[in-house]
Amino acid sequence: MSDQGLVDSIPNGKVLMDLVEAVFANADLAEARQAVRDDLGDAAFVDACGTIASFSAVVKIADGAGIPLEDYKEEVSREIRQELSINEFVT
Amino acid sequence: MLSEIKVGGEPLPIRESLVREMEVAWKRLAGPGTWWTGAERLAIAAEARHATNCRLCQRRKEALSPYTHDGEHDAMCELAPAAVEAIHRLVTDAGRITEKWVRSLDLDETKYVEIIGVLAVLTGLDTLHGALGLPLTQLPAAMPGEPVRQKPQGAKRNLAWVETVAPEDVGAGEPNPYPLHGDKNIHRGISLVPQEVINFFDLDVELYMKDDEIRDFDTEYRAISHAQIELIAGRTSALAGCFY
Repeated sequence: MSDQGLVDSIPNGKVLMDLVEAVFANADLAEARQAVRDDLGDAAFVDACGTIASFSAVVKIADGAGIPLEDYKEEVSREIRQELSINEFVT
Repeated sequence: MLSEIKVGGEPLPIRESLVREMEVAWKRLAGPGTWWTGAERLAIAAEARHATNCRLCQRRKEALSPYTHDGEHDAMCELAPAAVEAIHRLVTDAGRITEKWVRSLDLDETKYVEIIGVLAVLTGLDTLHGALGLPLTQLPAAMPGEPVRQKPQGAKRNLAWVETVAPEDVGAGEPNPYPLHGDKNIHRGISLVPQEVINFFDLDVELYMKDDEIRDFDTEYRAISHAQIELIAGRTSALAGCFY
């Protein structure tokens, strides 16, 4: 997801990524907020913030309860998980 | 339908449905839950906001393994130490929680799962405010009442680290958390306390999207596109250490 090509391939990807990074770093937020508002509009800014909130929250359930991937996700992510050796992490 | 939310004195457009679910979420946080009272649920929320300043949590966060540091949390509440441990870990280092740690908590699993639900809702509400540039909402007054203390009879430990309820095991007369929002693993994760599934996903589908909207690429349901939403979602999940 940090691949620059992917970010560039999505309209306004850079300013949206900057907003996510700023929320997590708790820095340069005013500038990042204004850039999204200027480029995408206020309603888009609010919906972007909602998405950040959603995925910051849902991780508590996934990590706290220890749920596994669904079968369909396991299948489509098998190759990349092998490349990253991610299955070798012990929980 | 759009409403308005004031940020720095400036009105921004916000969906009425999101405003409504935020209000509902706060009321539910302050009311009696399934295993904790309203006052206890708010104490969990207050402790969660306080946890980011905990010195033990900071030492653990910096350590190669959080399990190499013992000590006492800088707690501000009167909840049991095991509850404080659960709250602080879920807030400050959820990505390195292990099954062994969950099993080692001296806390009923039902109460642990309800803590997860409370923290998930609080994280959604607080992160939205922080991202928008709003101060955190002051915690409301607790509502009176006793927890219902009802454990689903069909709960089993066959999916996650905690007991969960499969859709086919929801008992007659028990709250069914699945018809409205779906029954993927993320919904089932906290189904040991079905009301917490409902509480979280009633809010979450407004922050993000409803289950049937997520893969409906012919329609855009938000002011940003599916692609933009998933770009944000992927980066947020990575920064939050979530690889589910």
